Amino acid sequence: MNRFKLWLEQTMMISFAIYVGIIIEGLVYAMMGDPLTSFNLTWLQLVSVILTGALCSLPTIFWLADTDIPKNKFIVRIILHCIGLYAIVCLFGYIFKWYVKLDGFIMMTIIYFLVYVFVCVVTLWFHKRDDNKINKALDDIRDEE
Amino acid sequence: MQVFIEKVDSKEEEQAVIKAVEITDEISGAVELLEGDSKSFAVSKDGKVYIIKASVVYYIESIDKKTFVYTKQGCYDCKYRLYELEVMLGGYFMRCSKSMIINLKKIKNVKSQISGRVDATMLNDEIVVISRGYVKEVKRRLGIG
Repeated sequence: MNRFKLWLEQTMMISFAIYVGIIIEGLVYAMMGDPLTSFNLTWLQLVSVILTGALCSLPTIFWLADTDIPKNKFIVRIILHCIGLYAIVCLFGYIFKWYVKLDGFIMMTIIYFLVYVFVCVVTLWFHKRDDNKINKALDDIRDEE
Repeated sequence: MQVFIEKVDSKEEEQAVIKAVEITDEISGAVELLEGDSKSFAVSKDGKVYIIKASVVYYIESIDKKTFVYTKQGCYDCKYRLYELEVMLGGYFMRCSKSMIINLKKIKNVKSQISGRVDATMLNDEIVVISRGYVKEVKRRLGIG
């Protein structure tokens, strides 16, 4: 149940971050002079974002969450995880036509790395918030020695 | 339920009387919590048997089907299995991983690691790992979940 909840959380977080990335992409194109109507998304592309989020969450849950491995091994795992998810995103991007030309592919790559960093930062922030809450509560019950 | 607190002069005079129509989960939890510190159990070290109070225990670990109890004074063998001690001690004693029970009252602070696991620094500066999956239960026991 915990893993299922984590999977849902991660899916929502990643999907939200991709949507924000798409909005930023649209704004960039608009600022470069493209007419606003030229940038539009089909319903299938919107669904594909959620599908990507759901699929990208799975390696996180089964490979990264709650691991008890040394820090250096974990960093190697993070790098492999990042590359693995990038491969999934490229594949989905190709299937769902997120990019047609090279500039679209570059933009998608930039968005991917921004989303990856965003999700990492938010996850760490959640953990930090938990730590603070727990430490505060522990102060009230701690034995004196 | 109404709660009355009356100040007494010594630890020996401390007692709690609960008047209830039935023993609910909440009442059982309160009893466990109140009894936690006064519970004692047998441990052994170098062939000698000792009776120790639950309140002196930092954490309990199971290694190769043997149970070890860690206190400020050192490590003791224990005949009880981890799941038996978990039920017996209750209150602020809780599972922090598959092979460990931790006394929340003996934690100095907690810190999340990048890998998602949570390191708990005990009052004797030892570090005990709390698996991320148990953090929700820690928060629940501390009344912040």
